[in-house]
Amino acid sequence: MVEKKEIEHLGDLVKVELKDPEKYIKQVEQIIHYFDRLDTVEFNSDDTLRREVDAENLRDDKYEPYGMSLIDHLNKDQNNFIRAPKMV
Amino acid sequence: MTRIGLEIHCQLTKLESKLFCSCKAEYRNLEPNSNICPVCAGLPGSLPMLNKKAVEKAAMISLALGCKIPEKIGFFRKNYFYPDLPKNFQITQYNAYGPTSIGSDGKITIEGKEIRIRRIQLEEDPGRLVYEGKSMLTLVDYNRAGTPLVEIVTEPDFETPKQVRVFLNVLADLVENIGVSDPYLEGAMRVDGNISEGQGNRVEIKNVGSFRDIEKALHFEITRQQSLLERSILVIAETRHWDDARRITVSARSKEEEEDYRYLPEADIPIVLIRNESIESIKKHMPESIVAKRERYISQYGIPAQVADVLSSDRFYSDLFENSYNEKNAKEIANIITTDLMGFADTREKKLELKITAKHLTELADSIVNNKLTRNSGKLALHEMMKTGKSLTDVISSLDLGHVSDVGSIEKIIDEVFKEEEKAVAETRQNPDTINYLVGKVMRKTKGKADPATTLDILKKKLSS
Amino acid sequence: MNLGISATEFVSQAKEGAISVEEFIAKTLERIKQVEDKVHAFITVDSQNALAKAKDIDKKIRSKEKIGSCFGMPVSIKDNICAAGLKTTCASKMLENFVAPYDATVISRLKNEDAIIIGKVNLDEFAMGSTTEFSYFGTSRNPWNPQYVPGGSSGGSGVSVSALECVASLGSDTGGSVRSPASFCSVVGLKPTYGLISRYGLVSYANSIEQIGPMARTVEDVAFLLNIISGHDSHDNTTINNPQVDYLKDLKSGISGKKIGIISQMIGEGIDKEVASATNMAISKLQDLGAECIPISLDAVEHSVAAYYTIASAEASSNLSRYDNLRYGFNFGTEGYEFKAYVAKARSNFGPEVTRRMLLGAYVLSAGYYGKYYLKAQKVRAMIKAQLDEAFKKVDFLISPTMPILPFKIGEKIDDPLKLYLTDINTVTANLSGIPAISVPFAISSSGLPIGIQLFANSFEENKLLQAAYVLQETTDLPEVPL
Ligand SMILES: [Zn+2]
Repeated sequence: MVEKKEIEHLGDLVKVELKDPEKYIKQVEQIIHYFDRLDTVEFNSDDTLRREVDAENLRDDKYEPYGMSLIDHLNKDQNNFIRAPKMV
Repeated sequence: MTRIGLEIHCQLTKLESKLFCSCKAEYRNLEPNSNICPVCAGLPGSLPMLNKKAVEKAAMISLALGCKIPEKIGFFRKNYFYPDLPKNFQITQYNAYGPTSIGSDGKITIEGKEIRIRRIQLEEDPGRLVYEGKSMLTLVDYNRAGTPLVEIVTEPDFETPKQVRVFLNVLADLVENIGVSDPYLEGAMRVDGNISEGQGNRVEIKNVGSFRDIEKALHFEITRQQSLLERSILVIAETRHWDDARRITVSARSKEEEEDYRYLPEADIPIVLIRNESIESIKKHMPESIVAKRERYISQYGIPAQVADVLSSDRFYSDLFENSYNEKNAKEIANIITTDLMGFADTREKKLELKITAKHLTELADSIVNNKLTRNSGKLALHEMMKTGKSLTDVISSLDLGHVSDVGSIEKIIDEVFKEEEKAVAETRQNPDTINYLVGKVMRKTKGKADPATTLDILKKKLSS
Repeated sequence: MNLGISATEFVSQAKEGAISVEEFIAKTLERIKQVEDKVHAFITVDSQNALAKAKDIDKKIRSKEKIGSCFGMPVSIKDNICAAGLKTTCASKMLENFVAPYDATVISRLKNEDAIIIGKVNLDEFAMGSTTEFSYFGTSRNPWNPQYVPGGSSGGSGVSVSALECVASLGSDTGGSVRSPASFCSVVGLKPTYGLISRYGLVSYANSIEQIGPMARTVEDVAFLLNIISGHDSHDNTTINNPQVDYLKDLKSGISGKKIGIISQMIGEGIDKEVASATNMAISKLQDLGAECIPISLDAVEHSVAAYYTIASAEASSNLSRYDNLRYGFNFGTEGYEFKAYVAKARSNFGPEVTRRMLLGAYVLSAGYYGKYYLKAQKVRAMIKAQLDEAFKKVDFLISPTMPILPFKIGEKIDDPLKLYLTDINTVTANLSGIPAISVPFAISSSGLPIGIQLFANSFEENKLLQAAYVLQETTDLPEVPL
């Protein structure tokens, strides 16, 4: 059972103020219930199909400055800082 | 009993580029947000490109701390919202679903104390926050975002803040020694601690600005917890921040409020295969470990274990030792360094001021071993060389420290003493046990330069004649 | 001037000077103006740059300068792929004003070959949906009947190609998002093998399973686009460094002697009757041309929708965290807000489907639930791949209808998310396993709505897959779009 408190907790985790939490309760519950079938599948392998790459083929450690002043494309103040709300 | 564990964040400052993009790893002293690209600024559509050398350097730290390196390493996302995280998740490593971090299960012995290393993980540093005046508005600079970082997590094996300090000094030397980091750069090495007293709850201490403050923060926290326990007040499991201005720890959040990080495999970075050959080749090119060095000192040169411990743990002094010893004088040099030098210059600043070289030490030790200088004179010569950098010969002559061991000179001095101390001479003839008084007189006259054995010989001869 | 020509026809006519590129682009822009009211495919139309570029290319053709292989062909781009200087909105209020400062790798490759980016097209917000109804900018409509959904999430791509508003389009396919609109709009759409095409510049939704995919009016055109956009990229760690393949070269090799497996789980229960009979028709036509068709059972497919939505939601909840409105976003000042409150307020502007999936994602990743949902879903992926590997030992291709049902009316399923999710049953298998799949237009229903047939091949066998798709295409003679 998914409850209002739980939906609001999920909303808090993903930082979304839910205007109408009730609306989501039923839907999330219904879908999670559908997901529950995964827990009944029997597996004969622990494989999870992750891709692999040889460490040798990773990016070389080389400094290459980005071709443009990226900050000019972002929201910034006159000193080129990004402004965030106060923390407390 | 006090149990302390540490989480140490160590930037891999010897790299050119960031962990997942080609921006500069060195972010210090740059204009705000001038060292960013779509990847490290977390723009939509950007993808992380893992730095090969960062994996190598993290592997080196793991090996140096005796950790196991798995065949496959993986990356995870740690999800939480904070303005210094441009993606609102941090790419890090995580072992809860099987060990995939670059290192795990290591240990290192320092001054006879074994410290277990739980895990070593490679991760990205967040950006930097600046708080603006009264409004407390937050300003964000992402130049640091994505800087390669290694987190070293120890088991709670420390019992005192002093052990912590010694360990951190060794660790700083170690990462410098193997060429992965300059631990003395501002912010390059940061420590969080966790601490519990007796059966009490574990308290995390974060936000310790400097390396030196962790010892103070731990001391404060031990006192705080002990006084709570004495009054039978429960220690709450919580995170506390070190308040640098007030020199105390303050509660930040309780365990129940702890974030649920919803760890998730980072699919943009495939599982990385680390071949055995790569590890072997890293091992081959790695400087000798502290543990191996310590063993060599004990087994090859017969240096006592405690001396070998202290000497091998300190990069600066062990380098000095390596450059000055030979088979005959190794023990003597180890002694000079650990008993005289280290006591005199124990901080980084003082070490850097030392004017002494390996050549000084070799000559000094040889002179002592070959009986050309007494230990006592040796100590005086050492101090002078440390301060001035003058050669041993110069120092000996300027301080007049030359060893007097020729029989003629000593006889002459003994004759003088016999004249001045008739009463004492008579007494010693009666009671030979008081001979040391006369030896002392000779020494005083020669300023400690007379060879004690020769002096005693001649004295005895003259007394019995 | 015929705007309905294929990409390959366009290229040969432009090359010979039989058509003026500028005129073609102008006519295309006119067509967009004409039909957009009815179908709403575009979010941004880049008229000025497109015309300027076309002029430039015409000049180059006349002076016989070197020109890229696209010769100014107009291409539309799903609005979750970054093209420098244009808005990349992801059909979301959150990115309403976001102008990408850089080109996705697929865009720079298209530009290098002198394709013209005519505009950015509609999608379900952040590609989450299968009807394009969840767009902040309003739903797209099916050119075959504007009362009906065009499929999704790459609805704008399917519509713009079908409605002759461009020659080809790039969509993205996370759980069927290229193939669903391809099927519903009667165009060809390919979901390539995971790792064949760079995702650099594709705004992530479920990054472990999604790929950019070409959409066009013919199989040749899809092969042509694939030649340009596929291949290893130093900006995407998940691309594979295979030797480059010319997908056009042996396209007409035929299907004689090949074996095709009919996936039992995808043509049984719950399939629309007309879709089922079209599928059977396709099978018999392929048999007539020399292919051997046998039934294949993939029982892991039964868990595929649950696994798909678990993985997609989990990854979405993490991928969409970065939209906190601080570095870029819509106009909403931070004054008077505390950080968490501000972010939660800003993020309440995500639409209902995105919000739903983020909540689901947070649920399945929460402490203690990882093993029950996400890990199990990952294991289902491996299970499906293992069963496919077995199947591909016996057959060269697999076949199914792309969508189990016909296009449905706008608004019909919007209030029942689970019901909508279940319509993805035939498409998600390719995403979970990473194998390539293509939807080929095959029939028109009695109600005048398109039906597409889906073919699968093993990983990195796009070459073979396109050959089979070409054979299937050549068996059809479909009417022109009634718009
Ligand atoms: Zn960068």
